[in-house]
Amino acid sequence: MNSAAVFDFTCPVKTNSGNKALEHLPVELAGLNAVNPLIVANARAVGPKAVRTLMNAFGDSKMTLGLFEGVTEAADLGVVDHLKNICLEKKYDAFIALGGGKAADVAKVLNLAVSLKTPDARQLSPKTPVRKRLLPLVVVPTAGADGLETSGFAHLNRMIFSSEFLAPGLAVLDSRLARARKGILMAATGLAALGRAVESHVSADRNPFQKAYSFAAVRFVRENLPAAVADPGNKKAALAVLNAAAMSGCAFSNAASGRLHKLGQVFYELLGIPQGVIMGMCLSRVLEDGFREGSCDPAALLQPLAGDDAFARTPAGKRAEAALALLNRFLEELRGALGKDLPKSLSEAGVSGYRKEEILDVLGKDEDGHYLRGVVEGMAGGKRERKG
Amino acid sequence: MSIIKDVQSGKKPLKRAYVAIFLWFTGRAIQAAAKVDSEVKKEFEKLPEDFTFSLGCLPCGPWMVVGREKGVVKYLGGDSRGRPVQVRLAIKSLDAGFLILSFQESTALATARNRLITDGEIPQALAIIRILDIVEVYLLPKLIASLAVKRYPSWWSFGRKLGGRIGVYTRTLLGI
Amino acid sequence: MLLPDYYEFCCRVKIVAGHDALEKIPDLLIERGAKKPLVITDKGVAGAGLIDIVSRALGDRVQADLIADDVPPDSDLRVVNRLARLYRDNACDAIIAVGGGSVMDTAKGINIVVSENAEDLMAFSGVGALKRPLKPLVAVPTTAGTGSEVTQVAVIKDHEKHLKMAFGSYFLLPDISILDSRMTLTMPPFITAMTGMDAMSHAVEAYYCLQKNPLSDAHALSAVGMIYRHLPLVVKNPDDREGRLAMAVAACLAGIAFSNSMVGLVHNLGHATGSVCGVPHGLCMAILLPYGLEYNLHKMADVMAELLLPMAGEQVYLATPAEQRAQKVVSLIRGLNEDLHAITGGRHARCLQEIKDREGKPSVPRDVLPQIAAAALLDGASIYNPEDTDYEDNLMVLEAAWEGKPLDRSRVKKG
Repeated sequence: MNSAAVFDFTCPVKTNSGNKALEHLPVELAGLNAVNPLIVANARAVGPKAVRTLMNAFGDSKMTLGLFEGVTEAADLGVVDHLKNICLEKKYDAFIALGGGKAADVAKVLNLAVSLKTPDARQLSPKTPVRKRLLPLVVVPTAGADGLETSGFAHLNRMIFSSEFLAPGLAVLDSRLARARKGILMAATGLAALGRAVESHVSADRNPFQKAYSFAAVRFVRENLPAAVADPGNKKAALAVLNAAAMSGCAFSNAASGRLHKLGQVFYELLGIPQGVIMGMCLSRVLEDGFREGSCDPAALLQPLAGDDAFARTPAGKRAEAALALLNRFLEELRGALGKDLPKSLSEAGVSGYRKEEILDVLGKDEDGHYLRGVVEGMAGGKRERKG
Repeated sequence: MSIIKDVQSGKKPLKRAYVAIFLWFTGRAIQAAAKVDSEVKKEFEKLPEDFTFSLGCLPCGPWMVVGREKGVVKYLGGDSRGRPVQVRLAIKSLDAGFLILSFQESTALATARNRLITDGEIPQALAIIRILDIVEVYLLPKLIASLAVKRYPSWWSFGRKLGGRIGVYTRTLLGI
Repeated sequence: MLLPDYYEFCCRVKIVAGHDALEKIPDLLIERGAKKPLVITDKGVAGAGLIDIVSRALGDRVQADLIADDVPPDSDLRVVNRLARLYRDNACDAIIAVGGGSVMDTAKGINIVVSENAEDLMAFSGVGALKRPLKPLVAVPTTAGTGSEVTQVAVIKDHEKHLKMAFGSYFLLPDISILDSRMTLTMPPFITAMTGMDAMSHAVEAYYCLQKNPLSDAHALSAVGMIYRHLPLVVKNPDDREGRLAMAVAACLAGIAFSNSMVGLVHNLGHATGSVCGVPHGLCMAILLPYGLEYNLHKMADVMAELLLPMAGEQVYLATPAEQRAQKVVSLIRGLNEDLHAITGGRHARCLQEIKDREGKPSVPRDVLPQIAAAALLDGASIYNPEDTDYEDNLMVLEAAWEGKPLDRSRVKKG
C-alpha cells in the first residue's frame, strides 16, 4: 500500500453471477424503481438465442420491454441521438446492454443523453460534465466481452467518455450467455481480462481495494481460461472467464490507463481486432520492460498466477522472474492450444504495413508514444512484414 | 416504424403450475406437521395467536400462506386475503423457486446464494426456517433431505421419523 | 478460487484513504451538489477532539458548522427523529457521520427520514423498501473495526415500543467513506485491540460463511493478513500512523467482505452475549472467534486452511502439513488473543469469565450462559453459519468459551 498520498477507490457495479442470474432482473429493476427498461443489443454479434434468453428471463413478470437490436460496430452519436428521442418519448426508465463492446458503449452514452435530457446527443463530448447519478444501467456481457462493460469508460466516435457515473449499477453474468462458439472468442475475452487485471495489479499506485478485484481476476483467468478455450461448451469455466472480465473492468476503472490497454484499444478501434488478441501478443514484453525500468512489480503476480503453494516456495527475490516465466508459459500453452486461430504477430493477424503505419501515427500522439511505437514494431513479425 | 420494438414479457405456465402445486403441498404439510411433531408445535406456540407468514416467488407469485387461527395452524391458500403477513419469505424469481422446489438447489443453499429475501421480525423468520427444515425432513427421502437441510437430524429416533412421516403424509393428502 | 453456482456482490461506496483523507470531503460534497452538511457524532468522539480535526479539514468551502454531538451509544428512533428535524430546519443537504456503529446507524436512519420525507421511519423497515438514492452520506469511522462505513444495513431501536427495526438496502450504503489515520490515532490500546479483533472476526467469518464468493474472499484474505500483522504493533505502539491507516483499511476490507458473505456463529453468540450481559461487542468477537472456527471445522477445513498463508507467512505455511493448517489458524488466533492480553496488561480478556465490569465484577457469570444460548436462537447470523446450530450447540460453545478451553470437537453434532 502506498500510504504517502491519499488514494480513492470506487466500484459502483453490483455483480450477479451464475445459474439463472438473468431471471432475477425483474426484481433487481423493481428495487431500482425501474419498470420499463430498454434492451440495447448488437443482435448480429450476440446471436438471436442470447436475445431470446434475455427476453425469456422476464417471463411471468408482466413487464413490457423495449428492444433495440440494431447496434453495429459503426454506431455513433447520431444513433444515440435518434434513440434518445424515442426514449424520452416512450419514457424508458432503465437500460440493459446485452453483449460487450459497442452495445455497452452505446447504452452508456445513451443513458447519459437521456438522463441529462441533452437536446442534441451529437454534441456530447468527454468534456460534458456528469455530476449526478444517471438512470439505472445493467450490463449483460456475453462471450466476447472485453471487460470494459463494467468500467466507467465508453468509446464512441473515437472519443473516450469517462466518469464513475457511466459505469453500470449492475452486471449480470449468466452461465447460459457465457459460452462461446469458438475457443478464440473465449481466449480474446480472457486475455483482455488478464491484460487489464495484470496492468492494474502490478502498477505502483495500486491500492488494496483495487487489488482484491485484480487478484481474483488474474487467478480466475489462470485457473479457467485453458479449460474454457479447450472446450467452449464448458459452462463453468466460461462463466469464470466472464467473471474475470467483469472484475478486470472494475479494477481498471480505478487504475491509470496503462500501456497494454492503450495498445489493445487502438487496434480494436482502428482495425476491429479484439483487444485480448493484441494484449496477448505484447503482455510479456510490456511487463518485462516495466520491470526493467522499475515502473511495475511483477512479483505481485506470482500468488494469483502460481497458487499459494508455489508462491510460498519461491524466495521473495525470485518472484518477479518466476511470475514472468509462468506468464510466458501460460501464453505459450494457450497459443499451442489455439494454433493458427490466435495470431502471434501483426502479420499473422493480417495487419498490413499500411494499416500498421496508421496505428503508429495514432500512437505517436500519446505521451508514451515513443515506447508504444517500439512495441508495435516488435510485434510486426512474419514474412509479410518484409514484403509490405 | 420505430427502430425500437416493444415486447410483452412472455408466460411460463408449466413452471408456474409446478411451483404452485409444490407450495400447496408444503403449506398443507406444515399444517399437518404442526399437529404431528412436537417441535413444530412448540415453535408455533411461541408465535403470536394470529401469526401469518407467506412463502412464494417474486414478482408475480405464486404464493403460499400459512397462519394461526385461534391458535390452530392452517394453510390459508395462495393469497393472504387481506390478512396482515408478519413474515414474508420471497424467492427472487419463479425460476429460482422452481430450482428450490424441484430440489435442484436446497433451501440452505438458496439462502446462501442470495436467492431468498426475508421480510419481517428476524426471530420469527428464524422460527419459520426451522419449521420448514423439519417439514422437509418428514417429506423427503433422507438422500434428498440431507441436501435440503444443513444438518440431517440423524439423532432422531426411528419412531419419530417413521411415525412423523406417516402422520404428516396422511394429513397432508387428506388436508386435516 | 471457487466460483459459486450463483452469487451477488456489491460495494458501491467510494473509499478515500490516507493520512489526510478528511481534506477531500469538501470537493466530494461539492461534486455531489451539496454544501451544507449536518455533522453527527457522539460525546466520546467530540471529547477526544476528533470533531475539531474534522472541522479544520472541512475548512470554509462548505458550511459545516451544524454539529450534533449527542448521539447516545444506544441510539433509537427518538434520536433519529430529533436529528432529522434539525436537518430539515436548517435546510441541510448532506450528512457527515463521525463515529462508530451507533452513529452510522443513526445517520442512515436520519437519511431515510429526510430523503423520503417520511413521517414514520417504520414504513421503510425490512429489505428492499427503499427504491432510490438518498442524500449524500459521508461516513468517517473512528474505530477500525465495525465496518459499518461499508454496510447496507442499519438497526434502529424503538425504546418506547421495545422494537428493534432492521433496514436493508444498497441505498443505505454511504456514498463516501473516509479512512483517515488521525481518527484512530488516540484510541486507547485496549479499545484498539478489541475493535481490531472485531474486524478480524468479520474477515475470518466472511471467509468461511455460506455466502462467500470470489470477491468477498479476495477482500477477506487481504484483510486477515493486514490485521494479523498490524494489530499487535498498533496496540503496542498507538502512535504508529502507518499501522493505524493499515488497520482502518483492513477493517474496511473486512466490512466489505462480511456484508457480502455474511457472518455466522461467532456473531450469533456474540450478539446474544452483548445483549444479555451488555459487554463490548469486540471483546465477544475476539473470545468467540476461535470457537466459531472449531465448531465449523469439519465442514470448512480446506477453506480455513487458506487463511494460514496471509496470516503466518510462507515459512509457517510450508512447515505446516496441509491437513493441519486449519487447526493452526485456530491456534494462531488464540495466540493473537494471548498477545493482546499481555500487551494490554490483562484488559483484553481471553475467555468470557475474564470479562470484568468497571467495578471489577465478572460481567458474564456462568449461570447466564443458558440465557445467552437461548437468545442466540433469535439472531439471524445463524442462517449463514456452515453448520446448523441449536440450543445445546450454542450452550456447548459458550461453556468452552467461558472456561477458555478449546472446543471438544468430538461433541459437535454432525448430520
